[in-house]
Amino acid sequence: MILVRAPLRISFVGGGTDLPDFYRHYPGRVLSTTIDKYVYLVINPTPLIDKVTARYSISETASHPNELQHTRIKTALMDFGIERNLEIGSFASLPAKTGLGSSSSFSTALLKGLYAFQGKRIGKGELAEAACRLEIDLLKEPIGKQDQYASATGGFNIFQFNANDSVSVEPVLIDYLKRSKLEKNTLLFFTGVTRPASSVLSEQKSKISEHIETYKKMSDSVSAFKEKLLAGDIRGMASLLHDGWMLKKKFASNVSNSMIDDLYEAGLAAGAWGGKVLGAGGGGCILFLAHPEVHGAMRIAMRQAAAKNNLSDFKEIPVTFTQSGTDILFNNLHPKII
Amino acid sequence: MEQYIQTFIQEVEKTIQALPKEEIAKALNTIQSVYERDGRIYIFGNGGSLALATHWVSDFNKTIFSHNLEKHTKRFQAIRLPTTEEELSAWANDIGYDMVFVGPLQNYLQEGDCVIAISSSGNSANIVKAIELAKQNHISTIGLSGFDGGKLNELADVKICVKTEKGRYDLVEGIHAVILHLITKYFQDYFDHIAQ
Repeated sequence: MILVRAPLRISFVGGGTDLPDFYRHYPGRVLSTTIDKYVYLVINPTPLIDKVTARYSISETASHPNELQHTRIKTALMDFGIERNLEIGSFASLPAKTGLGSSSSFSTALLKGLYAFQGKRIGKGELAEAACRLEIDLLKEPIGKQDQYASATGGFNIFQFNANDSVSVEPVLIDYLKRSKLEKNTLLFFTGVTRPASSVLSEQKSKISEHIETYKKMSDSVSAFKEKLLAGDIRGMASLLHDGWMLKKKFASNVSNSMIDDLYEAGLAAGAWGGKVLGAGGGGCILFLAHPEVHGAMRIAMRQAAAKNNLSDFKEIPVTFTQSGTDILFNNLHPKII
Repeated sequence: MEQYIQTFIQEVEKTIQALPKEEIAKALNTIQSVYERDGRIYIFGNGGSLALATHWVSDFNKTIFSHNLEKHTKRFQAIRLPTTEEELSAWANDIGYDMVFVGPLQNYLQEGDCVIAISSSGNSANIVKAIELAKQNHISTIGLSGFDGGKLNELADVKICVKTEKGRYDLVEGIHAVILHLITKYFQDYFDHIAQ
């Protein structure tokens, strides 16, 4: 059996500039960090069972991967030429489609696991590219590349998306004191509404040319955010998050809605310095940076705004920033280095 | 005499100032990620560098959690290779000196671990061989080298070279000890901080 763990991520600035319709014209940049919430994936050979099984929110068993409903498992297995005698199960700290990049975390975990199943170890960049290939080239999802890179790499990083489709990775090296200060000033809320990124990104993608100057601003704001991050300037970071969110709302009609606006305004009114919606939009999580003294008031205000909008699954997600990327935690098929 | 001492101190100061701080920061991050995934740190070197490795392992394992031992249910471990002199001499005598690190490494190393190799020249064959094994398997590697860095500095993911003129083992090994203590101090402070 092989157990793989892939972290989710919080993307601070530059989201959307990882779409090819933009980065082919101007370098896209995203600054993000991984968090202590994970997708876990188990790969279990079943030599005596001539089937493939996928266990996630449902369990499905098929004579050939072609018959599986789970598109990523199906496509990855067919791409690897694995047709039978394998069981794949996934587990996660959070529901899917929360704006924390979990679908790409699933892909990096799946691919790292399948390579390990074949006795191969691959590096972070190679893994990120393999996940991009699965999601963008094979599954034709209208998504960017930031999540695959964030999950494969781990930690605070700036990803630059170049016109030739290459991606440069620059770690942002902050010590535990700055990391911990940022954590103490961070509040993350799950709206309780999930929506696949592709539903928002399809419209956003088709309108990139209309907003090209705004995208350039967002890409350029990454270096400003990095400076604030290195300086431990939380208010400065919050202000950049807020500006980025205001710009992003214009990208597609469904990036925001009255529910999200209500929640965001409630957080600001209760004292947050700034924040943003994580992921493509339309639901998912809302991130705030705020002084710890106002966190109590914010929690109350946010719960009230959530109740007003009938968000029964609304909840706070405590979060710690992490360094490690997609990792094999257990492998008794090919455990040793040779 | 004082002049001689002063000259040496100035050389140490100048060399320390020129250290690649960003690479040292990357080494701290590499070790942080090993902690998060419950991996192990393997460290090794020849001669004085082996003494540094042993010294660091004993410090690191003993001190980083020691202030709040009961509060840390999650720990991690550093291991010097080879773990015994018997194993070192067996590999060296039976197969060859170039196997003394890579041999034990093949026995122990797993995904999620990291490797710290110490070599002043950066060109010791047994060090290069061990780093190559780790690299081939995408295990994170931290190289502590000196002089011009040698092959170790070329190969390692994290390149901590104490740049000096060739042959200045005194400066390189002394400053390697300072860097290793910095790593221990960072994690001691970090684990104290999260225990509070």
